[in-house]
Amino acid sequence: MIEALYDVSPAWPVIIAGLIAAAVPNHYVRKGLALIAPVLAGFLWFNVPSGVHTGGIIELGGFTLETFRYDGLSRIWGLIFIIAAFINALYGLHSKDRVGDASGLIYAGAGLGAVFAGDLLSLFFFWELTAISSVFLIWGSRTNEAYKAGLRYLAIHVLSGVMLLAGAVIHSADTGSWAFDESLSVNTLGGFLIFLAFGIKCAFPFLHNWLQDAYPKATVTGAVVLSAFTTKLAVYALARGYAGTDMLIWIGAIMTAFPVFFAVVENDLRKVLSYSLNNQLGFMVVGIGVGTELAINGAAAHAFVHIIYKALLFMSMGAVLYRVGTVKASELGGLFKTMPATAIFCIIGAASISAFPLFSGFVAKAMTLAAVAHEGHYIVWFILLFASAGVLEHSGIKIPYFAFFAHDKGHRVREAPVNMLMAMGIAALMCVYLGWPDMFGIPGGYRALYNLTPFPEVANEYPMWTFDHVVGQMQLLLAALFAFAFLVRMKWYPDEKRSINLDFDWVYRRALDGTARWGHAMFGRLWASIGNVLAAARTRMGGRLFQAFSPMGAISRDIPSGMLAIWTSALLAIVLIIAYIAP
Amino acid sequence: MSDQSGKHDELVHPAARPFLWLDAKWLKSSMLWILLVLALGFAAIDLFHHRHEYVHLAETPGFYALWGFGSFVLAVMVGWFVIRGFLGREEDYWDGEGDQ
Repeated sequence: MIEALYDVSPAWPVIIAGLIAAAVPNHYVRKGLALIAPVLAGFLWFNVPSGVHTGGIIELGGFTLETFRYDGLSRIWGLIFIIAAFINALYGLHSKDRVGDASGLIYAGAGLGAVFAGDLLSLFFFWELTAISSVFLIWGSRTNEAYKAGLRYLAIHVLSGVMLLAGAVIHSADTGSWAFDESLSVNTLGGFLIFLAFGIKCAFPFLHNWLQDAYPKATVTGAVVLSAFTTKLAVYALARGYAGTDMLIWIGAIMTAFPVFFAVVENDLRKVLSYSLNNQLGFMVVGIGVGTELAINGAAAHAFVHIIYKALLFMSMGAVLYRVGTVKASELGGLFKTMPATAIFCIIGAASISAFPLFSGFVAKAMTLAAVAHEGHYIVWFILLFASAGVLEHSGIKIPYFAFFAHDKGHRVREAPVNMLMAMGIAALMCVYLGWPDMFGIPGGYRALYNLTPFPEVANEYPMWTFDHVVGQMQLLLAALFAFAFLVRMKWYPDEKRSINLDFDWVYRRALDGTARWGHAMFGRLWASIGNVLAAARTRMGGRLFQAFSPMGAISRDIPSGMLAIWTSALLAIVLIIAYIAP
Repeated sequence: MSDQSGKHDELVHPAARPFLWLDAKWLKSSMLWILLVLALGFAAIDLFHHRHEYVHLAETPGFYALWGFGSFVLAVMVGWFVIRGFLGREEDYWDGEGDQ
C-alpha cells in the first residue's frame, strides 16, 4: 500500500493516458498506453484501504471538489469500469485510429471520474467529459449517417449535462450543499432536473433513442467501448442519489419490456444489442427503485456482469462486422464454420445475458427478482419475468442464431484477429467464473461478485443456488427455446428482412424537424411578405412626399402672395376667436 | 464457391469441422422435439416437488414453463404484427435526412 497515492482517483491515469495518446502519432505507444492505463487505475483501486475513503480534494474558485470517494457503491462500479477499459483496449489493439484511441481512454477515465466524484460539480465535469469524448467513437466510422447520429448524440448528452448543472445549482441554493448523495429528491425542482439528466443517460422510455441511434453506427471498437460506460454510469448515479424512489420501479419495468418488441424485428444485430441493453438497464433501474439492500445489490451485481456480457456480445458482432462487413441478420448465417471461436464466445455471452444457470446473468438477475417479489411488487415481477423470456429471444437466440447458424449465406471469412479473440476470451471466462456455484466446499465465482456488492453480508445470505430456483429458471428458458423452435417450424417467426422500424426518435427526427423546417420556411415567406408590404408602403409614401415636397411638388408650386395673405389672415382670425371664447 | 454443408469446403475453419453436424437437416428437424422433451421434463419436476416462491401463483406446477412459452410467443407476435406492421419502413427511410 502506498499511502501517498490514497487520494489519487483511478480516473486520472486513464484520462492522462488519453491526452497523451491524442498527441502521440506512434500506434504502438498509444496501444501501450491504452493497456497500461487501466492497469495503473486498477493498482490505485486496490491501493485504497478498505472501508469508506474520501480524498482527492481540490479547492477551486471557492468550491471544494471531491474527486475520489471510495465506498461500497463506487468500489464495484470503479472496478468493472477498469476491467472494461482493459478489455476494450485489448479488443482494439488492431485498430490504427489515433482519435479513437484517445477518445476511448478519456471516455473511460471520465466514466471512472464520475463514479468516484463526491460532489455535483465534479460529477458535472466528468459527466460532460464522457459525452464530449465518446462522440468521437461514433464519428470514427466516418460515414454521413454516423456524423449525423453523433451530432444528435452530442446534443442530447450535452442537454443532460446542462440539466445536471442547472439542477445542481438549484439544489445547492436550496440546501447549501453540493454533495452528490442520497439527499437528492425528485420532489424538489433541482432534484427533479438532476433526475431527468440521469434519466436521459440511462435511456428512460422516450429518452432512449440516442442509444439505438448512435451505438450501431459507432466503429467496431467504439460500440464495445460505448456499451460499457455511459448507461451504467447513469445507473450508478441513480443508485447514489435516488435509491428507493418509487417511480423508478415502473420506469424500469417499462424499460425491460418495450425494447423486447423492437428487438424481435430489428435486422441490424448491433441495434438488437442496443435494444437489449435498454432492456437490461430496466432490471437495474427496478432494483434501484425498490431500494432495499438486496435490490441495490442486485442492481450493482447486474451492472457488473452486464458490462462484461454485453461487451462480449458487442465484441462478437464487432468481429463479424470487421470480417464480413455487415451485421444485418438478413445477410448473415453459417458463420460458425469460419469463425468458430467467435461463435462460442457469442454463445457464452448469450447464455449469460439469458441468465442460464452456471452463467453470470443468473446470479445477478435473481437478486433483483427476489427483492421485487419480496417487497410485494407482483405486477412488476411478472413484467420482469416476461422480459427475461424476451431477453432470451433477442440476445440469447437471435444474435448467435442468425449470425452463426440459420441459413448459411456462404461467407467464408477469416476468424477474428487474435487480439479480439483474447478480449472475447477474457470476457467469456469472466461470464462463466462469476456464475459458478459453490462446489465440493470450494466457494464459487459468484461469491467474488457478491463480496463486491455494496452490502456483501446481505448478498451472501441470499440463497442463490436452490433447487427451486434452478428448476424454475430452466423451465422458463427451455419453454421459451421450444417456443422459438415451434414458431420457426410453423413459419410463424418473422423473416429477417432489410427494413427499419420507427421508434420515438421519429418525433424529433421527422415530426419536430419537419415542423422546424416548415416554420423556418413560413417565417422566411412571412418576412419576405412583410418586406414587400413595407417596400410598397415606402414607395407610396416616398411618391407622395415627392409629389408634395419635390421642386415640382404641390408645396413648391408658386402660390400668389395675395392668396397667402388671405390664408394667414384666416388662420389669425381662427386663433383670435378661439382665444376669445376660451375660458 | 463454397458448398452449403461445408464438408468439402477448404475455407471452413479446421476447428469448426467436427461441428458441421450443427448444420445438419436432421438436427434442425428434431430440435423441436428435443426442446419439447427438455421443457416438459423440467416442467414435470413440479409434479413431484413443490417449489417455494414469494409469488404464490408461481407455485403452480409448470408455471415458469407456461410463462416462458407465452411470453416468447407474445413478444414475437407483438413485434411482428404491431411493431413491423405499423412502424416498419423501407431501409432507406432516413436517407437524405437533414439534407433538404
